[in-house]
Amino acid sequence: MTTSDRTPRAASRPGESGDGQHAGHDHAGHDHAGHDHDAVPVRRRARGVHVAWAVGATVVLAGLVAVRAITAEQLDPSIPNPIQDLLTLSTSVIIESLPFIMLGIALSVLVQVWIPESWLLRILPRNPWGRRAVISLFGMFLPVCECGNVPLARGLVRRGFTVSESMTFLIAAPILNPVTIITTHQAFGFDDGILVARLLGGFAIANILGWLFSKHPEPMSLLSGRFAEECRIDDGHGHGRDRRQQTLDLFVRESSILMPALVIGSLIAGAIQVIVPRDVLVALGSDPLFSVLAMMILAFIISVCSNVDAFFILPFASTFLPGSIVAFLVFGPIVDIKMLALMRTTYSTRTLVQLTTVVALLSLALGLVVNYLA
Amino acid sequence: MSVMAAITLWLAVSGQLVLYIHPRYVVFTVIMSIIAVIAAIAAVSSPRHHDDEGLPLPPRRSRAVGIAAAGLAGAFALGMVVIPPATLSTATAQQREINATASDDAETLAAASVADAATVATFTVREWSTVLRQTSDLAFFDGKPATDLLGFVTADAEDPDSIFYISRFAVTCCAVDAQPLGVPVYLPGWAELYPPDTWVQVSGPFESNPSRSSTKPVVLIPDRVEAVDQPREPYLF
Repeated sequence: MTTSDRTPRAASRPGESGDGQHAGHDHAGHDHAGHDHDAVPVRRRARGVHVAWAVGATVVLAGLVAVRAITAEQLDPSIPNPIQDLLTLSTSVIIESLPFIMLGIALSVLVQVWIPESWLLRILPRNPWGRRAVISLFGMFLPVCECGNVPLARGLVRRGFTVSESMTFLIAAPILNPVTIITTHQAFGFDDGILVARLLGGFAIANILGWLFSKHPEPMSLLSGRFAEECRIDDGHGHGRDRRQQTLDLFVRESSILMPALVIGSLIAGAIQVIVPRDVLVALGSDPLFSVLAMMILAFIISVCSNVDAFFILPFASTFLPGSIVAFLVFGPIVDIKMLALMRTTYSTRTLVQLTTVVALLSLALGLVVNYLA
Repeated sequence: MSVMAAITLWLAVSGQLVLYIHPRYVVFTVIMSIIAVIAAIAAVSSPRHHDDEGLPLPPRRSRAVGIAAAGLAGAFALGMVVIPPATLSTATAQQREINATASDDAETLAAASVADAATVATFTVREWSTVLRQTSDLAFFDGKPATDLLGFVTADAEDPDSIFYISRFAVTCCAVDAQPLGVPVYLPGWAELYPPDTWVQVSGPFESNPSRSSTKPVVLIPDRVEAVDQPREPYLF
């Protein structure tokens, strides 16, 4: 592999000094004249084509950025305020999530391609409760917020984890992770047990849910049809290729599946925020039951990442009861509009409805308990 | 995705990324965007292996949904390329109700009550809204005028003819969580001079509210109002 790889690269070096497009053509012409050995010219031509593609892609991106810079100067759009705000809000959700999704995809690739299988499975206890408990602590080493966890959970399923285990991870990791713990502590300290309730609540809900779904007789049917197919085909295949290639393939596949979901989730979240007046929710603040429900609805539509939601909710702490804040902090990271759109890429609609119901009921119970204790 | 990442980078270079997210996330966002752009270019320029070649085609309905979703994502990316970035407007300020979440932090109030003139002159909409929420004692505001208070104009709901809010959004993470804060300003007929969404600088003392139809006890009576350009960082962080 290495030697045959090296030869054409060395040979093509002189041509590469010019611009990429040109170099590509040059090679193609050269190849016909020389070697009668078949593999080398084909490879070399392929390499020229790749260089051309890379240059082309760079040029297109640079062109888009140039268009962007020009339209910012020239265009004076008269977009009505609400629509402009809808775009600003949706863009803001996307820009905020994009780096986390990228990090999630990177870690997912790492888990799937670069870490030996035995290494991951060895550290896990055999008994299912213990396994899930350890899995729900994975987040301590993978500080990604919930949107980044979706590609990671997909990677775990492909790597042979059961569906219920992937769910335990997906639910626990955004809450039980160092960044979230630090930001929650910065925002609330140990006041009213909000931090403790959030951590214990998240851990408990994740494990209860994992246990419930592990009782399912046919776990593969919990997945969305397309993802289940992909998993079946992945088995025992794809190990022959080199890792760089696998990495890029995974990157393309994951981002092309997740990005449309992210855009749709963000647009819906933005639209609801423009339409529904905020004071409707805030008016419910001091009732023990309705405040919890209102906060869960707010968490559902606002769709901010778990790493930062503590700061978001801090200004509401003076008007809302602590239990409702806890419900917000536990429910929000697991289920919200953006997350449902992202999770739909992996789990079936039926599964998501069940998941949402169970998590909502458990968060509600948790919120009420905290309200009556505090 | 790479288009969005490239646009994100442009926003960062032109300093407009803060229209969408808090400055503390800028570095992380930029690094991840650079990785995304590099990975995308590498992916385009390398031979493709289609893992899903063996897959049976999904049913027509879900295929249509998939294409529609991809189309929407593409259209949105194009929108990010063409439509100029903008700050949130009065539409969101009114929808979220100004000062609904103004802090009633007693420390700010205590600090304000002993602050010297130079410190008071630096108060932003955030400090004033915190103070106004907690006290309506005119003696407190005696000798503490607002100096060059910066914000955009939003109509007051109770007395839209003679009171407007000089308002800012406070952002803790990204534009999604922007909370509108504002200081009421009494200036009959303001809308003719400074239509909503105009950025202004206002100086003047706080006095009891002359308006009959408004319940606010204390308002800013402007000595001087000046229309200004939107600042580069429109949000309060």
